[in-house]
Amino acid sequence: MVANVKDKAVIVGIGNTTFSKDSGVSELSLAVQAIKAAIDDAGLKPSDIDGMATFTMDTNDEIEVARALGVGELTFYGRSHYGGGAATSCLHQATMAIATGMAETVVVYRALNGRSGHRFSGGVAGDITTADAIHWGWYMPYGLLTPASWVAMFTQRWMHNTGVTKDALFEVAHSTRVYGANNPAAFFYGREFDRAEYDAARMIADPLQLFDCCQESDGGSAVIVTTPERARDLRQPGVSVRGVAQCAAEDQEQMTSFYREEFAGIPEMETSAKNVYAMSGLSADDIDAAVIYDAFSPIVLWQLEAWGFCGFGESGDFVKDGALRTDGRLPTNTHGGQLSEAYIHGVNGIVEATRLVRGSSVNQPAKTVNHALVTSGVGIPTGGAILGKMD
Amino acid sequence: MTTEELKAFEDEIYAYVGREVCPPTPAKDDVNVAMIRQWAEIIGDTNPAYTDADWAANSARGHTIAPPAMMYVWGQEGFAVTTGRAPDAQSDLVSLFNEHGYTGVLGTNVKQEYFKEVSPGDNVVMEMTIDNISERKTTGRGPGYFFETLATFSNQHGEKIGTQRFKVLKFIPQEQPAAVASEETLQVPTRIPSPRGHDNKWWWEACDAGKVLIQRCKSCQTLRHPPRPMCGKCQSMEWDSIESTLEGEILSHTQLHHPKIPGYQYPLVCAVIKLSEGTNFVANIVGCEPSDIHIGMKVKGAVEQVDEKTMLPQFYPA
Amino acid sequence: MSDYKTLTCADVSIGDKLPPLDIDITTGLVVCGALATRDFEPVHHSKAAAVATGLPDVFMNILTSQGLMTRYATDWSGPEAVVKSVDLRLGAPNVPGMVMTMTGEVTAIDTGSGTVDITVVGENNIWGMHMQGSVQLALPQGA
Repeated sequence: MVANVKDKAVIVGIGNTTFSKDSGVSELSLAVQAIKAAIDDAGLKPSDIDGMATFTMDTNDEIEVARALGVGELTFYGRSHYGGGAATSCLHQATMAIATGMAETVVVYRALNGRSGHRFSGGVAGDITTADAIHWGWYMPYGLLTPASWVAMFTQRWMHNTGVTKDALFEVAHSTRVYGANNPAAFFYGREFDRAEYDAARMIADPLQLFDCCQESDGGSAVIVTTPERARDLRQPGVSVRGVAQCAAEDQEQMTSFYREEFAGIPEMETSAKNVYAMSGLSADDIDAAVIYDAFSPIVLWQLEAWGFCGFGESGDFVKDGALRTDGRLPTNTHGGQLSEAYIHGVNGIVEATRLVRGSSVNQPAKTVNHALVTSGVGIPTGGAILGKMD
Repeated sequence: MTTEELKAFEDEIYAYVGREVCPPTPAKDDVNVAMIRQWAEIIGDTNPAYTDADWAANSARGHTIAPPAMMYVWGQEGFAVTTGRAPDAQSDLVSLFNEHGYTGVLGTNVKQEYFKEVSPGDNVVMEMTIDNISERKTTGRGPGYFFETLATFSNQHGEKIGTQRFKVLKFIPQEQPAAVASEETLQVPTRIPSPRGHDNKWWWEACDAGKVLIQRCKSCQTLRHPPRPMCGKCQSMEWDSIESTLEGEILSHTQLHHPKIPGYQYPLVCAVIKLSEGTNFVANIVGCEPSDIHIGMKVKGAVEQVDEKTMLPQFYPA
Repeated sequence: MSDYKTLTCADVSIGDKLPPLDIDITTGLVVCGALATRDFEPVHHSKAAAVATGLPDVFMNILTSQGLMTRYATDWSGPEAVVKSVDLRLGAPNVPGMVMTMTGEVTAIDTGSGTVDITVVGENNIWGMHMQGSVQLALPQGA
């Protein structure tokens, strides 16, 4: 069991920049714009921030962000590793810092020029100078060097083991795009999308086609987290972190855990789910809506299984019954997800999960959302969190 | 070159305009099915108008035709050109350019027009002239002249079937201070190599020598791949290795379509393979249609040279 | 016979895009393409001869490029189309190891004569434009 930090931290502000394919500004500019928007949303001042949590992949040094924003003293700054697996891990860091008193008000942020700058779809070729270069070396010479190709390798085996077909992948791709079409901030805003277009799109890496893959975007997202005491005095209704966890499972590689006895699965997310449920005292039945990390359509299906919304291999039928739709069992990725809003490494997902609990999503379900799940990227060390209305 | 010298040179080259490069010459072989089929196979052209006599019999034409783009092929000189070509007006003109420093050559445009289709049994007659030579131009390659040949094609009945205009730039190659750099950009890309460090260098060096090794703990004999400095089972740091038989079974696979990375040959398939020794391994699957690859397929590998710089295990259907 | 469909002018609009086609440039394609077009210039089958001209390897001859361009057009139009002209500008060489992606677009239609003009670009993934130009096809009259 992990330490219990249930309801020790509360999200009080959220902010996004405009999402684009070419921001024309620095990543630092995007970061401070997103954070400023979140601070304003909360009704705070930059000087109220005393902690920061972001991704190891983020290029915006905390001290640069602090100086640009006019934040004074920082008493906590922690980074989380593993690409999109860091999304809720940053929230995990912020929550731990607040629960232990290391900081009172922490901003979680991520900002990137993911389309006009370095594109992940270009693969890991070239100027890799990180310590995991050796790891990628087992795949690069063979041409297996893009996120889509690694996820494709898992997907092929998972579809083989479960019998789930592309009908289910399409339902994920389509449901998020319908949400995106109704979200003015989304790339897919106002855009039609149907099965014919999905099927006709180019193959990226079998079985993934273009519309199984997320956007590449320029933009930034931020959330402000603080103590319940502080939260009560602020402008927005508090959204409490009921439970949060991260996990790297046995024999884990980054995106290429091909050496497990059975690699068509995400045990690191199963452990995260178990710990978040234990911490919060909640179960899958208590979750009313979700933001499930969707860099690629199939990974949403695996996570539905890992979080116990359905059994192993049953996620295809689960989504085909309309579960992800606004009137379904689990309205999911109501902002359009990273498949159709923007790819801000999952932090725009924390923003949307907060909105779902506040009741302010552009695609807010008719039912009351008492609890929303938000998750990080998979195939890598990952995690998730359950957000709920502050008591 | 003085103005007078330039004038004399230009008088000499412009005298070639209108000169005959070759008189009307019938092709040595008539248009024929064998050469058409060979062309269609290699170009990948499945047009039944070229190779499917049954289809063609019922088509609007009523018979097969030669691919129009073969018009120039019928009159080609043949293997003799490997040891040089007989002099003609064009080669004389080229020599004249070369003697005056215009040694660079670059085909820039080719345009073929087709007036009448030809079919097996027809004979293509070609004649060629030097049609025009431009004024002296400053080009990105250096100063030079464009000259254009005009080939006219007829059939055995004297009917004109098409023309070809081919434009060539003869230029004075520029002294390029960036010659070294430009040579570098002309390197054919190769596969992206793995970085080599303490923990994996020995494995890749064995691969360079044609072997795939699997690391083995000296203490508890557990095999591990990819290599690591310590055994996760017993924490021993002592290890040796065994050579893999490269027999295995596909656990999963994906065909890489996009993006196409320079240095890799497509179609390109990667797979996770369970080796008979028990460890899993990622490599390419080759030697079969990508659509034939499936989970559970038995494969057999070999270390092969896949490009100028890279030795890599490649797996074939067993 | 009905396996092959041929477009008519009525089926085509200006701005229509041809489906992209990737051609893997292999030594086999370069050498065999040269032989199939009876182009025995050593630079198309002898690496040493090609290297002597400053290129890294054998390179595709023009007649093969022309063939690929007409094939690309008639793959799209269907077999009853008659090729009227191929006009191409030559760019960077195609050398083994590259992939050339061909794209095309309808730029003119003359319903009177039944001809359509297609612009075609063949771009390789290393050096860029290998060829660009146009193909004119005469399409059969519609039913």
